[in-house]
Amino acid sequence: MNELIKLYQRIVQRVNINLRELKFDISPYAQHLIAIDQMKNFYAFYGITMDHPLDLHFEHSALAGSYFLGKCKVSNSILYKSDIRGDELKRKGHVFQSNGFSITLGKDELIDIHDSALIKTLVHNYSHDLETPDRFFIKDTLSMDYANIHGAPSDGCFLGPFATVDLTTMRDCAIGSYSYIQAVEISHLNIDPGTIWLHSPGKFNFLYKYPKDQLEEYITLSSDKVPLGKLIDFIDDREEKFQRVFDFVNLEEMDIVPKTSSLDRYAVILPNFKIAENVLISQRAYIENSSLGKGANAQENCFIVNSTLHGYNVSAHGSKILETDLQKGVFTGFNSFVLGKPQARINVGEESIIMPHTIIDCDKPLNIPANHIVWGLIKNSKDLESNSLSLEQLAAHRGPLTKGRMHFEGSGAALVKAMKDRIHHILEVNGAFYDNGENNGHAQRNQKLSLNTIQPFQFGESMGMYPNIRILP
Amino acid sequence: MHQHLAKDLMVPISEYATVEIGTPLIEAIQALEVAQGMYTESKYQHRAVLVLDKSGNVVGKITQIRALKAIEPDFDFLHDIEDIKKFKFSEDYLVQLRTVYREKSKIINTETLTAAANKKVEEFMQDHSPGEYIDENGSIDQAIHKIVSGKHLSLLVTNGDRITGILRVADVFTAVFGELTALKL
Repeated sequence: MNELIKLYQRIVQRVNINLRELKFDISPYAQHLIAIDQMKNFYAFYGITMDHPLDLHFEHSALAGSYFLGKCKVSNSILYKSDIRGDELKRKGHVFQSNGFSITLGKDELIDIHDSALIKTLVHNYSHDLETPDRFFIKDTLSMDYANIHGAPSDGCFLGPFATVDLTTMRDCAIGSYSYIQAVEISHLNIDPGTIWLHSPGKFNFLYKYPKDQLEEYITLSSDKVPLGKLIDFIDDREEKFQRVFDFVNLEEMDIVPKTSSLDRYAVILPNFKIAENVLISQRAYIENSSLGKGANAQENCFIVNSTLHGYNVSAHGSKILETDLQKGVFTGFNSFVLGKPQARINVGEESIIMPHTIIDCDKPLNIPANHIVWGLIKNSKDLESNSLSLEQLAAHRGPLTKGRMHFEGSGAALVKAMKDRIHHILEVNGAFYDNGENNGHAQRNQKLSLNTIQPFQFGESMGMYPNIRILP
Repeated sequence: MHQHLAKDLMVPISEYATVEIGTPLIEAIQALEVAQGMYTESKYQHRAVLVLDKSGNVVGKITQIRALKAIEPDFDFLHDIEDIKKFKFSEDYLVQLRTVYREKSKIINTETLTAAANKKVEEFMQDHSPGEYIDENGSIDQAIHKIVSGKHLSLLVTNGDRITGILRVADVFTAVFGELTALKL
């Protein structure tokens, strides 16, 4: 039997053992997830930069179409078109502060992936686990298409398509499709699809669950567990455009990108477009007929089509923005789907927050006022009324609050502050505030990034696997 | 001080309200009323009905709480609240949520009462847990420990494999505080 098949079967078994208490069997999900015979057709690639320590270690793994940056170790694992971005890992000497502890790191942090299968998954940020501040581990885990493992060490977990776990250590959990979890630490939980949960113990607790039948229009799994729905169709319709950027090793640089901005060579950018200063466009982002104002960003797997971002806009990993105008400072959370139409454009007022995993899909023009926070499924102005609050109202709220399908408890001010601080931090690390040599971030540093490719075995028992490689400076 | 044993304080099973598996709730309640009318040994009335299998073995019991729960319809919101529980919301929040939801749905009406009356006892009876048994010759100390640690309202008293009676909190309470009063502290 091919080594790759044996490895995949072993990973599936290990994840199942971890999830046995939940009686969650990943076998049907795994069955059609990977085209084993296609794995040899995709090269892997890694970035070299002056700004991040380089230490890549690949051992008994398949890495088809995946990207690596920083310090990463991958062993006994299968990665397919995944991005392992180690550009925000903690460095030796860094003082990690959490829960009243100050921990000084004795060595650079490492992303350590073993016995896992990650499919079109983004791994980014750094470990928020106090117990392993220098090791961002992902073990015995299977993640499906467009999952985000963001600062979230994982042990024995399953993530469905478009699931995001953010700043949370997870153990023995199954996270349903399109769920977003930010809860510090979770274990032995089976989370339904479309669950949006932000829990900061002692501060706030926010929960929204999509109506199952309505979520299925956007993302569901077929009887043989293949992802289907509008989200998949939206991406598939544009998939072909990525072919060119991955087919050519060297592409000409675009001189219309300002010197303070960065356009990744694995991003797709189509006319007409305008890119202002301090803009970051990451790999696998897709920009078409859109304008990105000063300090805006489009992170991995973002799609921005026929839209205008007026500046200092965060378009978090996997967000999709179509026929929409985002005024200054608007934040679009992970995997949000803002789907305007030519005759029904969406306008989002200044400084408003579109929570992670929000779907806005309207047939009539929709205006989201400035300084508002919106969540969940919004298909018309009535939904907007039940799925939004002004930031001022939320900040003034303390105690329990039920609004539509949303449950909230705790300090609204703490939630607003957490979101605002984080948005500012994201803009800062992405270089949005760069000015005359000061405050540089990813947008400026990524210009000094070169890329190398590595290839899998093309024949024999190890076909599709990669040779064991250690890459050091 | 009198050394009470379980068998001294228990209510013999023959004096208890019992029904067979398959009995509807309404008949179980009627059986309880009959048993209460006949029981004059103590000022504390029976509050539960024992459920027996075809061979006469006790397989569960219906307390007043279980009977009320049977009347409560299977509202969707109860499932929602069960689900919300795992997301670390406070008990206060869940209580408030129940109140809000309940205001939208009336529990007591002809329809829900009729449906509850016809429910079979096995659908809502309480199974026994291992800590809920005491031997006939078990001491009152043992009984107190089991009642307090297991938060039980009664214990099943056994003789070998057979259940011979029910030891109720009220009877243990009366015996213990009778001794305490006699001490004239």
